[in-house]
Amino acid sequence: MKLLTHEIGSLAKPPWLVKTSAGSPLEESDIEHARRWGAKLGVDGHEELVETLERGNPDKAELGRWASRYALRLLESAGIEVVYDGEQQRTEMYAWAVEHSNGFEPRGTVRSFDNKYYSKSAVTAEPSLREPYHNDEFAFLQSVANHDLKIPVTGAYTIAVWSYDEHFGPQSGRIGAGHGRSEELAARREFANDLARNVIRPNLESLIELGAKWIQIDEPGASTEADELDIFVESFNESVEGLDCFFSTHLCFSDYDLFFPAIEQMHGCKQFCVGFANYDSRELGTSGADRPGYEVISKFRDLPYEPILGLGVLDIHTDFVESPELVRDRILYATEVFGDPERIHVCPDCGLRTRSWEVAYEKLRNMVEGTKLAEQALATAGATT
Amino acid sequence: MQAFAPGIYPRSEQLVQATRDLDRGRTSPEAVDEQVERDLAELLSVQQQAGLDLLSDGMLRWQDLFRPVLEAGEGLETGALTRFLDTNTFYRAPHATTATPKLAVPLEKRFVASLPAPRLVTLPSPFALSQGTGVPALTIAENVLRPALAAIDAELVVLAEPFFGREEATSPTELAEPLAALAGGPKLALQLTFCDARKPLEQGLGELPVDAIGIDFYGTHLSDVPKGFDKLLLAGVIDARSSTLEDPRELASFADRLHNEREVEKVALVPNGDLQFVSERIAREKLLRLGKVKTATVQAAA
Repeated sequence: MKLLTHEIGSLAKPPWLVKTSAGSPLEESDIEHARRWGAKLGVDGHEELVETLERGNPDKAELGRWASRYALRLLESAGIEVVYDGEQQRTEMYAWAVEHSNGFEPRGTVRSFDNKYYSKSAVTAEPSLREPYHNDEFAFLQSVANHDLKIPVTGAYTIAVWSYDEHFGPQSGRIGAGHGRSEELAARREFANDLARNVIRPNLESLIELGAKWIQIDEPGASTEADELDIFVESFNESVEGLDCFFSTHLCFSDYDLFFPAIEQMHGCKQFCVGFANYDSRELGTSGADRPGYEVISKFRDLPYEPILGLGVLDIHTDFVESPELVRDRILYATEVFGDPERIHVCPDCGLRTRSWEVAYEKLRNMVEGTKLAEQALATAGATT
Repeated sequence: MQAFAPGIYPRSEQLVQATRDLDRGRTSPEAVDEQVERDLAELLSVQQQAGLDLLSDGMLRWQDLFRPVLEAGEGLETGALTRFLDTNTFYRAPHATTATPKLAVPLEKRFVASLPAPRLVTLPSPFALSQGTGVPALTIAENVLRPALAAIDAELVVLAEPFFGREEATSPTELAEPLAALAGGPKLALQLTFCDARKPLEQGLGELPVDAIGIDFYGTHLSDVPKGFDKLLLAGVIDARSSTLEDPRELASFADRLHNEREVEKVALVPNGDLQFVSERIAREKLLRLGKVKTATVQAAA
């Protein structure tokens, strides 16, 4: 019995990349970071990076590619089987997409939570793709990755719901007009579907042409509006319909019950990778009572097109490092609910960009170790039945 | 006619960077404190320039609507990271470890900054704070919020209520007792943020034992306000979730309609919720427009 492990998306950027991108001078500790992690992860030629950093005035694009190499090796070295580069060359999942599309204008920084923020833009005209914006990154990663690649692409609905609308909906006459939800819904549907057709789908077609086999449509905003789930589904289908690739979607930090029955119509989605650990207990155990964060997974099991579940087993909001045994028990509970372990993949709840590399690495190593423990337990159980 | 801005105000780009740097170990808490003070001074200046009637500290140190209260509480703690309504901003949901949580210490001074009078303070409503904890709103009011209020010197305390208006199976009568338990201190407003208040208004929202009621007029139709509404109406006319800047003429016209069509005599123009859902640059412009409309309306009436 083999359970596939994969990453979700982002990793923190190394300080030598962050500071260089911001135009700040590097300190010796930043260079030591490159030296230490290069050696630890076995990054080929990392001495060249260290020399470049010591020399000063490095090329930013080249540093981005170095960061990609480091992140790839971090994931591969942790034992993750399907990897990407932690989105090292992207500004951020939303910002990168709108920066490379027409029809958006930046509107400043908004809080995500605590001291975490994101840049938010407004759609001010019909959106369109300026140029496929993941091609260079993917082509580079194809040339350096040792493991299989899965490309994260921010989905149409999330871009729509994370943007201010200064184009599709009414801009005046709203005060005291009330009950205008139907107008808002119509505007959001038009916006999301325009994005799906004119921005996301051309990107996907371009990646498939380059050889992409697995593309993950990231939709962390999917359940933002409970009455817009059909718009999320419609825009997903519009993005992928008829394209030849393994498409998955990533959902996180939501009331997942809201997704049902809307996602019964997402026939093109072969896998849902979903964050559950954030809601779960840290105690060991494989019963339903032990695993409150995973209560909803039977609904994913019962979807008519039988997708795989990417089981989030790492809480990415905390430095708490899940033990292999805790990971094992989360997987064993899920395989018991699903009845078919082949419909379970193992992954973190979400991208690990808010954790340090040290913490992310330990979490991921334990995830892989816990997956092996689960495989052994399943093999033992299979042998005795 | 008054105008003011309850709720969490956005941090400046400088404070955003400072707090990011703090999390990454690149700056000190003292440096962040200094930037908070600069943000606060700037916010006060903007409110004064706009001619707002009550000054707010913008809750610049609050990580979300509940955090400082939970941290000062006994038997209360932070729970799972949870999406705030239909925004892309998350909060730590309140979690109770006992059936009778209480405020262990007054809210720290840094969470309720000293300001020139007259001022307003925003706290979570008892219903909002009780959501998901299993603790009745009355217990929260008596044990947590009343002691917190006792230490607050303000002209008005706005109790922010983001959830009540979205609950199907609730009635304002459930709020009466918890709110009555908070009476006797500063004047109180209950503000239903980011929602359609039609149903609560029909069910007697205006009768609750508070001095003012706040309504989001991007969710609520003007005609849903009972004619002759006799409490102070906190009219949410600035859309705190939209980057579009309100047209002062449209705001003024709406204020007129509140008076002429609904016969509301006491009105305060406010945002319909926390301005933190737009950037500081946009929030500042929205405040200035709010003040401009209020000043023009008052002058016209005079």
